[in-house]
Amino acid sequence: MVDDHLLSIVLIAPAAFAVVLLPIPRRWRKVHRVLTIIASSLMFAFSLRLWTAFDADEPGFQLAERLPWIPQLGISYHIAVDGISILLVLLTTLLLPVVVLAAWRLNIEHIKSLHISLLLLTTGMIGTFVAVDLFLFYVVWEITLIPMYFIIGVWGGPRRIYAAVKFFIFTMVGSVLMLVAVLYLAWFHHLQTGAWSYDYTELLTTAPLLPVTGGLLAPGLLVFAAFGLAFAIKVPVFPFHTWLPDAHVEAPTTGSVILAGVLLKMGAYGFLRFNRGLLPAAWEACVPLLTALAVVGIIYGALVAMVQADVKKLVAYSSVSHMGFVMLGLAAGGQAATQGAILQMVNHGLSTGGLFLLVGMLYQRRHTRMIADFGGLAHEMPVFTGVFLIVTLSSIGLPGLNGFVGEFLILAGSWSRAPVAVALAGLGIILGAVYMLWTVQRVFWGPLANEANRLLPDLTVRELFVMLPLLVLIVWIGVHPGTFLSPTEAAVRLLLGR
Amino acid sequence: MPSPIHTDLLAVAPQVILTLAAGLLLLIEAFLPGLRRALSELGMLAVAGAAWARLALPTPGLVWSGTLRVDELAAFVDLYILAALFLTLWMAGPFLRRNDSERGEFYVLALFAAVGAMVMASAVNLLTVFLGLELLSIPLYVLNAFFRRSVISLEAGLKYFVVGAFASAFVLYGMALLYGATASTDLAVIVAVIAAGAALDPLVAIGLAMVVAGLAFKLAVVPAHAWAPDVYQGSPTPVTAFLSVVPKGAALIVLLRLAEGMDLARLSAGWVVAIAGMAVASQTLGNLIALVQRDVKRMLAYSGIAHMGYALVAVLVGGPDGASAVLVYLVAYTFMNMGAFAALALLSERDDRPHLIRDLEGQGYHRQLAALTLTTCLFSLAGMPPFVGFTAKFAVFRAAVNHGFVWLAVVGVANSLLSAAYYLRVIYALYMKPLPERAPELQPSLPIAATATVAALGVLALGLYPTALLDAAAAVITSITR
Repeated sequence: MVDDHLLSIVLIAPAAFAVVLLPIPRRWRKVHRVLTIIASSLMFAFSLRLWTAFDADEPGFQLAERLPWIPQLGISYHIAVDGISILLVLLTTLLLPVVVLAAWRLNIEHIKSLHISLLLLTTGMIGTFVAVDLFLFYVVWEITLIPMYFIIGVWGGPRRIYAAVKFFIFTMVGSVLMLVAVLYLAWFHHLQTGAWSYDYTELLTTAPLLPVTGGLLAPGLLVFAAFGLAFAIKVPVFPFHTWLPDAHVEAPTTGSVILAGVLLKMGAYGFLRFNRGLLPAAWEACVPLLTALAVVGIIYGALVAMVQADVKKLVAYSSVSHMGFVMLGLAAGGQAATQGAILQMVNHGLSTGGLFLLVGMLYQRRHTRMIADFGGLAHEMPVFTGVFLIVTLSSIGLPGLNGFVGEFLILAGSWSRAPVAVALAGLGIILGAVYMLWTVQRVFWGPLANEANRLLPDLTVRELFVMLPLLVLIVWIGVHPGTFLSPTEAAVRLLLGR
Repeated sequence: MPSPIHTDLLAVAPQVILTLAAGLLLLIEAFLPGLRRALSELGMLAVAGAAWARLALPTPGLVWSGTLRVDELAAFVDLYILAALFLTLWMAGPFLRRNDSERGEFYVLALFAAVGAMVMASAVNLLTVFLGLELLSIPLYVLNAFFRRSVISLEAGLKYFVVGAFASAFVLYGMALLYGATASTDLAVIVAVIAAGAALDPLVAIGLAMVVAGLAFKLAVVPAHAWAPDVYQGSPTPVTAFLSVVPKGAALIVLLRLAEGMDLARLSAGWVVAIAGMAVASQTLGNLIALVQRDVKRMLAYSGIAHMGYALVAVLVGGPDGASAVLVYLVAYTFMNMGAFAALALLSERDDRPHLIRDLEGQGYHRQLAALTLTTCLFSLAGMPPFVGFTAKFAVFRAAVNHGFVWLAVVGVANSLLSAAYYLRVIYALYMKPLPERAPELQPSLPIAATATVAALGVLALGLYPTALLDAAAAVITSITR
């Protein structure tokens, strides 16, 4: 029974638990915290059953569930995972308890509403990765907007409303056109086969037939552009990134971690699954453009990150740079680079998510994020410094840690198709090392520059527990990437082979 | 075999029930003032009875010598009008009481207006269309001005009256021309003559254009929209809620019966341009002006203008897809608007003053239920899933894409985006702004809260499980085109 509905349970459990929280009075803050941390940990533990039930040798969708939803239009509740989505689902369920625990001691107003928003957001994010029906995909994709809008706007910093509205509107700019594209694909499927369907597995047979020749207004290219815009904004691909720094800086730590950790991946995942999977011919036509944008993103993100005075903003721009690597792997790569890009999505979730957590902890102690206010923290907070250093090294791709594996696969795999882009991206790696290590130097090394930083408390046991799962995975992926690469292999081969 | 008069009467039983109930309420108001407090409930009882009659009794088709057509479509629209009326009456009782305006005439007029709308929904003769239109409009003129001591309410009544009279004149004049050209007041005959090739006859073209223009006033689509903001703002909130859904629904159905019969798109390119132009202009102008409104009711008026623009897209597209999308849109719009206005009534301190967005600041944590229902309805109006507003827009845009109007779908989604910007303004005022120093003093009211909750739950339920609604709409359209 449970095993038949494994995926549905993982998907629905967070939303269902949010409904459970509703009647509990909001004054009982402790109760809310304890219940949510227990429930979200259980959800993660349960999602590990997905991992064990998952068959890495099976390239297609598995653990599928399909129920009619709007049968007269050919819309069904069809969910499944394959090698491309399983890691991202697990990343999502892992980050939920982490951020709940990270927000534990904070004196957050309306903690009940925060938890409910987070849980609904989690269902939306998991849904995005497991939806096979395009209608369902669109619904869950849009649903994620609402809780994230509240997380930024209610619990964010001074310019939170601006950032929240910007986030909402920017993301919606892309997704509304995606709706038209989805409708068009269904119509085209009906034209070809005489049956209505929004199912990915069925659209795979007709969507590649969309003509891509005949100028820029070819239907195939327009549909590709409509999907692509939605995903490019979410990733974000340069020049659609301007919402990201605002959203990240204003969002509370909880929001930043989820945003960087999972939400951005929805865009990259969408590119791979829909743009590449459904419209391979248009994809081929757009590879030069995507590669160029990816490289610009890598360099631009790194350069802008370098001059930031605010650590959080620095990490935000580094996200633009890192997601550029993911896009490069997807755009230029074959098998290895695409697998590397998927792994790099997870890596970025771990390392950037970790950095946002650490910056949040620092902010909580000092109520500032300005690099200039720090210096010499290593003396006061040795453990914190150590953890920060590990995560930084992971982020800049030190061999032995996770970032190296992803970046190496991406660059090596893209070399044959786009040597110039790879060379430029290599420059991006160097720049990444420069700004991250420079930041570490200015914040942690040297003499204690600011008396206000004397006797800052080191990491607490709770905070260590927050970081521990991320650190374990950072090392694990770095030392033994096979665990996380093997599930993606068959699925990527199937997708690229089409 | 029942006699024809028997069939005729049974076919209009819901209208008869409402009319009798209205008369009864008037008598109670006059002779049993002690029962005054129960008038709202009695009215709701009558509505429930009418709805039961509509569900239980057959829909025989043409009745009353071919002037009314009580078919599945009419039944569907009747039920939606009754639902809107029920919710209106539910919130009206406490609303009138707190404004010291509880007089029985309110319920009587609301019932009569609903009867008028129901007549329009089943009218297939120019005269019955006009009869329904007037029976709907005249009570509304009075209802708009129901706060006799409030200047903006009086202004609303006067404006709606003047514009309404203007619209009626248009419709009537157009009907006269159509009659002159086709020698019949029967819609089926007129449609047949037009479809047979008289479309470009100037008399027919002008007559048809004037009827459509008159209906456009009732729909408040550009360029006949200018009355809406003042009337919405000034009318008592339950009246605004009723006004924003029932006349629009009735007018849309008349338009649908006209357009379905002769397939506007094939009739002449001019009609496509005209209707598409109205749709696009309504969406764009409505949404753009809504962006800068400070009063929530005015904002919802402009949003209503935009929403009728989306509905017009479905009318234009036509066919089973388009026609059923119109019905889905109507139901969705009813729930969203009813919920939004009921929630607004909960969140307003003085009903005869403007309802500024600023006054909603910080209420998200103080009036949780009202704020949550308002938020739900606004997200739904913006077309966000999983709410019914998304279902409706999906149905409309799907119809547009399937019938070669991809560009209208693109314009529509771009407008949804525009609309999100102003709905979000209300939502962030509710949740992301602190409570002002002098917080408004709000009076709780169980019936109004119940109205808002029922509407919001409908918005959510129909959004999560739209199958029943889509099925019903499709079945209705199949049954009448068969």
